[in-house]
Amino acid sequence: MTAPVITGGAPGAPRTPDTPAIPGVSGTRATLRRNFRRGVWRVLRRKPSRIVGVAILGVFAFMGIFGPLLYPARLPRDDNALYAAPSLAHPFGTDFEGTDVLALVITGARYVLLTALVTAVITVALGTAVGLFAGFRRGRWDTVLMRITDMKLTIPALPLLLVLSTVWKFTSAIEMGLVLGLLGWGGVARAVRAQTLSLRERGFIEAARGLGLSSGHIVGRELLPSMAPFIAMNMLIAVTGAVYAQVGLFFLGVLPFDANNWGVMLNLAVFGGGALTTTTALPYMLAPLLAILLLTLGIVLVVDAMDEIFNPRLRED
Amino acid sequence: MTVIARRLAGHLARGLVMILVVTTISFVIIRNIPGDPMRARYEKLVEQGMSPDQAERSVAVLYGFMPKGTMWEQYLDYMRGLFHLDLGQSLSVPGAEVTTLLGSAATWTILPVLVGTLLSFAVGIILGVYAAIKRSSKLGDILAVSGSLLHGLPQYVLALLLSAVFTTLLPIFPASGTADVTLEPGLNAAYIGSLVQYATLPVLAYALAGYGGWILAMKSSVVTVLGDDFILAAELRGMKRGIIFRYVARNAILPLFTILALSLGLLFGGAIFIERIFTYPGLGLLLLNSITDRDYALMGGAFLLITVAIVIANIVADMLYTAIDPRVRSGQEAS
Repeated sequence: MTAPVITGGAPGAPRTPDTPAIPGVSGTRATLRRNFRRGVWRVLRRKPSRIVGVAILGVFAFMGIFGPLLYPARLPRDDNALYAAPSLAHPFGTDFEGTDVLALVITGARYVLLTALVTAVITVALGTAVGLFAGFRRGRWDTVLMRITDMKLTIPALPLLLVLSTVWKFTSAIEMGLVLGLLGWGGVARAVRAQTLSLRERGFIEAARGLGLSSGHIVGRELLPSMAPFIAMNMLIAVTGAVYAQVGLFFLGVLPFDANNWGVMLNLAVFGGGALTTTTALPYMLAPLLAILLLTLGIVLVVDAMDEIFNPRLRED
Repeated sequence: MTVIARRLAGHLARGLVMILVVTTISFVIIRNIPGDPMRARYEKLVEQGMSPDQAERSVAVLYGFMPKGTMWEQYLDYMRGLFHLDLGQSLSVPGAEVTTLLGSAATWTILPVLVGTLLSFAVGIILGVYAAIKRSSKLGDILAVSGSLLHGLPQYVLALLLSAVFTTLLPIFPASGTADVTLEPGLNAAYIGSLVQYATLPVLAYALAGYGGWILAMKSSVVTVLGDDFILAAELRGMKRGIIFRYVARNAILPLFTILALSLGLLFGGAIFIERIFTYPGLGLLLLNSITDRDYALMGGAFLLITVAIVIANIVADMLYTAIDPRVRSGQEAS
């Protein structure tokens, strides 16, 4: 899916270009890093909701990394408590086999989040590379790459995924992440290109070019660092797009249920348990929905902070 | 007028390329499906006593191209049929032309998508202006964050939450279908009322899915326009606040028509989920069912039609922008 892409405004103060002749350059870099960290902390403190966002993402990261370790490989079943109502022992009740729903959400998180991470990395790497190249070179290269990007954006990604699922079963999280990443870079490319076009006319880029520095240096050491927060924002947004597509495909039932994840849970609750007509399976359906809701909320709040880091002028509002 | 014609020609050319890409994808996928369903079908028909020639023609009717000759010949055969609007016949609905099934399903998708989009567009724009004006306040913050949240949430999460509330906990809307099956279809009040009642939740799902994007886009656009020189000049002349905001809204709304196209595209993609959840017989559900039924001709046709709809939406949105923005209409460079 095409993840929603935030096109940031003009970036903040340009960074002083590094030159080998300046003595103590490593000290300068350390100072810049310390100032950056201090700035980040200040931005986070301005709104408590941003710290909440970071905390939420931290919880999900922990869940993805350590979740399966908290439970035995085969989750225990309670044959006397099929579709049990929420209780202290089972905060979200149990499923059709008597398995704890909360345990299913936690153990299912790894597959979902791993796929999302792989997708986000590929989407942003490809999108940034295409966008930077097109925006920096301009001219014929720009035209060709943007036509390809437009074509990419026009193909309906979700229907295409459904069609592909007839010949490809995405048997591992990394494999699915690869496919989703290759399908999702169009929006990022367009956004990064817009930023590159804006930045390349800035004073510090002109200065770097005037000094005779190579294109590689200008792109890698000047443009990329300036856009880092913007790229990080798009990476987080790509995560929501990946969760959307992956959970969605399993929910629709077009992929085999090899492993437990949130999409499988939704499918079983809605189409197996009748959650849309009776309340018995409702907690089973609401638990993964709540997980997706919280994950999206965490990402939204963190992106809000990153937006301000990338656009210091927003602080004037 | 020349500018508009040139832009339209460019769009049509690119649209045709898109259609070729999508049909080629469909063809490649049909030919690479494990188990080679075309050959399996052919051999099954021969086993049933049909002559080889008859079996071949039967498979050709089903899949839209003759299953013989080189891959290139089969591809050309497929494309030739396509240009005659022959997409083959459905396996899951014996004897039905794919085009017929697509036509009836399209109506059930297009209407809710359009109504939902217009609803979210209207509400999103109004609240977007408000969020821009109040962007330093708590309410502006809440509007912006809630817009981001709705924008980021998958359509099926919104649809399932809507369904959990209104069909399970407080069942005031029907859980699935298009109308009360006991009513006689036709232009009568009872049937139309039933249609509206059954369509309410799908439309709300589309509207909620689109709303977040609109409020964010409009807020961003208004903030940009508020910084323009002509607004400052108007304020210096002491114009009434209401008149100033009319100027702001008129200019700020222009970029949103471009976003409208992408929004429609995303919603057509999301139709698969919403139609599945509410068992609403549109294009999305048709595509999904064709996949589970292994009805490949119907799958290719549905995929193609969804793409064509997106291409058309893009063209219409850009032509609208050309008509609305005086700078483009007069042939000057747009901002």
